[in-house]
This record gives sequence, C-alpha cells and structure tokens, in this order.
Amino acid sequence: MTAAAEPAMRTFSEVFDGDVTRPHYGPLMERLDALGRSDLGERAALLDSIFRTLGITFAVYGDEQGRERTWPMDLIPRIIPADEWWHVERGLVQRVRALNMFLDDIYVGEQAALNDGIVPRWLVESADGYMREGYGVPAPLGSRCVVAGIDLVRDAEGTYRVLEDNLRVPSGISYVLENRVAMTRVLPVAFARHRVRPVNHYGSSLLAALRSVAPPAAAGDPTVVVLTPGVANSAYFEHAFLARQMGVELVEGRDLIVDDHVVSMRTTRGLERVDVVYRRINDEFLDPVVFRNDSLLGVPGLVSAARAGNVTIANAIGNGAADDKAVYAFVPDLIRYYLGEEAVLPNVATYLPWEPDEREAILSRLDQLVVKPVAEAGGYGILIGPHADDQTLAAAAAAIKADPRSYIAQEVVQLSTHPTLIDGELKPRHIDLRPFVLSGERIEVIPGGLTRVALPEGSLIVNSSQGGGSKDTWVLEGDD
Amino acid sequence: MLSRHAEALFWLGRYVERAEDTARVLDVTYHNLLESPPSEESSAWRELLEVLFLDQAFGDRDSVAGDVTRYLVVDQSNPGSIVASVARARENAFGVRDRISTELWEAINQFHLELTSWDLATDLDQQPYSVFRAVRNRCQMIAGVASQTMPRDDGYRFILLGLMLERAEMTCRLLAVRYARLLHAGRPMGFHAWLAVLKSVSAYEAYLKAHDASFEPTRVLEFLLLSPLFPRSVLFALRVAESQLDRLAVGEERANLMRLVGRVRARAEFCDIDDVLRSGLDQFLESLQADIYDVARAVDQHFFRAGTDLELHAYQAT
Repeated sequence: MTAAAEPAMRTFSEVFDGDVTRPHYGPLMERLDALGRSDLGERAALLDSIFRTLGITFAVYGDEQGRERTWPMDLIPRIIPADEWWHVERGLVQRVRALNMFLDDIYVGEQAALNDGIVPRWLVESADGYMREGYGVPAPLGSRCVVAGIDLVRDAEGTYRVLEDNLRVPSGISYVLENRVAMTRVLPVAFARHRVRPVNHYGSSLLAALRSVAPPAAAGDPTVVVLTPGVANSAYFEHAFLARQMGVELVEGRDLIVDDHVVSMRTTRGLERVDVVYRRINDEFLDPVVFRNDSLLGVPGLVSAARAGNVTIANAIGNGAADDKAVYAFVPDLIRYYLGEEAVLPNVATYLPWEPDEREAILSRLDQLVVKPVAEAGGYGILIGPHADDQTLAAAAAAIKADPRSYIAQEVVQLSTHPTLIDGELKPRHIDLRPFVLSGERIEVIPGGLTRVALPEGSLIVNSSQGGGSKDTWVLEGDD
Repeated sequence: MLSRHAEALFWLGRYVERAEDTARVLDVTYHNLLESPPSEESSAWRELLEVLFLDQAFGDRDSVAGDVTRYLVVDQSNPGSIVASVARARENAFGVRDRISTELWEAINQFHLELTSWDLATDLDQQPYSVFRAVRNRCQMIAGVASQTMPRDDGYRFILLGLMLERAEMTCRLLAVRYARLLHAGRPMGFHAWLAVLKSVSAYEAYLKAHDASFEPTRVLEFLLLSPLFPRSVLFALRVAESQLDRLAVGEERANLMRLVGRVRARAEFCDIDDVLRSGLDQFLESLQADIYDVARAVDQHFFRAGTDLELHAYQAT
C-alpha cells in the first residue's frame, strides 16, 4: 500500500442517480412530494416531541452544564435494497467470524497469526485495548464479540467499505429500535409502501446469543444480567433499554458478589447465581482486583470467576486488541489467513506511519489525508487534511513524527450523501452506517443498523457527540 | 428483585413519609405553643428535638421556634430535615427510575424542584402553616400517585412497607411529643389542643364519625394508636406493613420476620388503653418504637444485605 493515489472528491448519492430517483426510493420520494413542506415540518416536530416525551436523550461529555440533548433523528429514512444488503451482511458475517477467531487465537489459542507474522506481534501487544489479563479467559463458542458494531461508509463509487470495527462495548442499538418505532408513527403511509424488514426482535436475539455463550456447566436457562456503570453514564438509557428488552436485571457492580469464583447477584430472595454478564463497562473498570484498583464500578473477583469458567463476560476482555485503528489495517489479511477468503467488504486505504517509507508519503500529502489517533473514539482528535489550515497540519506532522504508533492515515472517503431535512428543506448530508452483528450459535446481523448523519453542511463527522443526527434505516425484503 | 432496588424503594417510601410526618409534628407543636405561656416555648421545642432523636445534632443552640423549624425543614446539614428527606427520596427514586411509574418519578422530582426553588426560610417566619400544609399535600400526592400508577408487585410492596413502618414510628413520636408532655405537666388539655392534634394527622373528621365532639383524651389517644380503620393510626400502619411482609418474605428468615412484625402489631392491637395510661404512656410508646426499629432492622438484614459478609467493598450505609 502506498499513499500516492489521488483523492476522489466526488460523492455517491444514496437516493439519486444523476437526476433520476433510484428505483428503491421511488415510493418514499413520491410520498414526500405529496406531503409538501409544511406537512414535513409538522412531522419533524412530532418526531422531536416523541423523543422528548419518551425521554430519549444522550449526555455529551464536556458539556459543563451536563445537559442532555434530545436524540436527533431525521425524518427522511435511508433505504437499502435487498441485494445490496445481502452483500453487506455476507461481508459483516465474514469479518466478525475472522475477528472472533483472531481474538480467540490471541487469548486462548496458539497466537498463530502473530507467530506467522500476519500481524506484527509488537503492534498487537502495544494496542491500548490489548489486555494481558485476558489470557486464558475462555469464551464459549469462540464468540468473543457477542455484540459487534462495524462502521461502514460508501465511497464515491457507492462501494461499502469498513471504516472501523467496534468490538468492546458498541452502543447505539437502542436508537435503532426507537427510531423505527418513531418512524412508523410519523410516516406510516410511506413505511407501509415499502416492505421493510423488522428490527424489533433484537432483544430476543441478543438474549439468545448471550445464553448461548453461557458456561457449559450452567444449568437450565442461564441467568443473564446487563452490567452498567450506573445512571451517570452517558449510555445508561441504552443499558436500561436493553435489560428491559431482554427481560433481565440491570445490575451495577455492587449488586454482584464473587465467592469461590462464582458470581451471584444480591436479591431480596437471597443470592442468585449469574451465568452471563453482558457488561457495558470498559475493561479497565471491570474488576479492581485485576484492573484499576480504584474502580468502584466493577466487581472484585469477576475476572477470576470468568477464568475459572463459571461465568461468561460478554464481550470478552481485551477485544480492543482487534479493533485498534492500526490493527484494522490487517483485518483483510486476517480474513484471508483464517477463512481462506478475500474480504467481501474492503477497508478504507490505510497507511501506517511507523514504516519510514509510508511516513514520508503520508507527510508529503498530509493535506489530502485523514489522520486519526488510534486510541480515540467518538470522532475526537480526527484531522481531515483538506479541511485543515497550515498550522494544524504542521502540528499533526510533528505529532506523527514524535509518536508514529499512535496515528494512522487514511484516504479521505467522501461519505455518501442522503437528503436530510434541514430547516424545512431537503439537503444532501453525509451519512455512514453502523450495523450490529451478534455472535452466538451463529452470526446474525440485524437488518440495517444505525445510520448517522453529519448535520453541518460538508461535514464528514457523524458522531452524535459531535453534532451528528440519525436516520431510520430500512432494509427491504427480497423478492419471493 | 435486586436488593439494591428493593432498598431504594423502601427508603423512597420512608423518606416521603418522614417529610410529611415531620411537617405534621411541627404543625402540632407550633400551633399548640400559640396557646401556651411563653415560658414553655424553649422546652417544648427541645422535647420535639428529643422525640425526633435530633437533640444532640441540634446542639446547644437556643431552641426557639424559628431556629428549630428551620433546622427541621430547610437545613441541608440535618439529614432528617424535610428538604433533605425529599432530596433523598428523589435520589432513591432516580436509582430505580425504571422500576417506578413515570408519574411517580415526576411527582417526586417536581416536589424536590419546588422545595429547592422556594424561599422556605422566609415563609417559615411569616406563615409556617402554608409550608407545613404544602409539604403534607405534596407527600399525600406522591403516595396517591404511587397507589394509582404502580402495579402491585414486590416493588410497590417495598415502598408501602417503608412508608408504613415510618408512619407507625412517627405517629408514636407525635403522640409522645403531645401527650407525654401534657401528662407530665399535669394539666388537662383544652378543647382546642385536641382539635389541633386530630387535625394535624387529618383525623378530625374520622374521629367525629367514630366518637363525638367531647374529645376525651383517652379516646383520642386510643383512636390514633389503635383505630383499625383510620389509615394514620399506629395499628393500621402496622397491619399494612405486616401484610406486605407476609407477601415478601420467603426462606428461612421468614419466620423471624413475621414473628417480629406480628409481635409489635399484636402489642398494639391487644393493649388496654387504660392500662397503658396507668403504667406510663411514655414507656409504652418507646417500647413500640423499639419493636418497630427491630422490624426495620430485620427487613434490612433479610432483604437488602444478602451476602454482605462476603463483600470486599466496604458497605456504604444509607
């Protein structure tokens, strides 16, 4: 890989092919035309009030007043036709299967991929999310990523590419489900004109996946809990939502105790054994015995109980070894290595600055590339070369030279655009897609996922913490 | 259900009731003093603090009306003050936001917000009755919303259990403050004093239906302690608490819990009010409170402390 290619600045439009509406958007666009501008405004207002009334909000870190914002959902849904989704789904299943195998290889296997030089050992071992403490902790069925969120974008040709893997505690699925409920209320006619695949089985699919990874010794229906850091966490709404959808307890660290490597929750009827902990707490806060000893969020002894095979922690410890932004560059190689297949969904062209040649190539055209710190999430710290001034570029160049392992560079992907309601008008805005992939007895992809939209004109940053919105995502049924 | 949730619901009930009952005892004391000689004021307030077990925390300050009411209503440093009780009720409600109805959450949250934006100190000086009445109304609304919007599951039972144990205890204290003092003084209570007591627990009309307007001290006392029909009487509260426990308690500790709650309920139910007065109302009320405390402690051990002997974290007591 070299950094010599010219950046493509054209964009792919999801809805229009030139002046013509793509056929799968036909019924929706007709309906929107029929509604007219004031009607659209009313429905957008209704949408907002639905979310406000439901109290569906998210907290923004760094907002000093600790304000919560109403979840921003755009009125205009995104539609993915059946054949296109079939391709995406196949690619996601393939990718998550390989990532599960890679993680199992690292933590309970022979580390074959490292020994065979598919990924440099030093790179994996220097990844922030790599956890030595995860060695020997079993993951039944090899499902180390029970829930994965794989961020996809479409380039100028409309090709779906993987932008990022989220294998630790990916969030956003609650918004997928709530977006759908809200959408069927505000645009029922348009919705009915398409044959949209449902998403509301997510709770039972997640529960089935979590039960399938229970320790082999667990008797009867394994007991699953959702472990949350508590009400102060920005994703608490989602934690409570998922517990409710699955009909399981939402616990905090202090509700669980470990005795003789067995995890139990404290109930009004005494201690009740727990088989699977779907944790929404990061590794370093999970168990103060093993990780940060000042963590009050975690459960002392949890990791040793998991190591003893008495409880399954999902997702497994140390998954960050595989979703590191630099390790990402090697995922197509891992797919080839473990599955003997070519990646169905390509990566975005990625350059690794610790190779001296690549570093020079990156620095020579920094103004045409995207630079990401490998340890950040949520869209923080990203430099978009074409949008940056000279001073910012110089600072980035210095940072890359000083600590090349901490950065990657990628070609600018001119994310596809989609009509979005902005001040009563439909305007093109950039979007991405985070589908959710469940690994249990089999790998299952929830149709669609969270479409995020960058609301400011021209912006490529879709994260909700950075002013992004969302869209309901309709995957159409195939022809019978 | 999770012990943490049950504990939060139990204390939600207790704190709401505590806020209401604190307003009620303040109301009785305040209005009774209006008709008493000024020399009695300081000792009356001091006794109120004693009955609420807050005399040491209040310290050596002069126990004049203004200071004591402010201490019991608005003082954040007093964990038993009305403002602090409501804040803690809200905290507990927030921790079980998913287990209570939206209406109940809103009622509690709204009350808390009102109190924090209200110039209570001024109103306590100028028109304390309006403060006491507002607190009472709000707490009654919260209890009403809970009963109208919560399914009758374990969660609701824990709220009701906390509320009723607190009520039984606080009604004992109210009686202690009012009667014990007057009996010691050896002075018969006047017509208006009886009226004030009954009205302060919303019992005036119910009492008239059960008896008549002669307000005999023994009958009033009997009514507030032992009426099987009036929902603020000690006996009524204990019966409701007992029936909640009957549904909640399982396992080997059940027998002990039911014995403790049954014992205190039976002591109230089968007591002879004339005997009680002869042998000393003070002691009777104190021992009832001690028994109620034993029930609350057993509830705490049985439902909220499963496995704490194994715990590596230091437990943070409520």
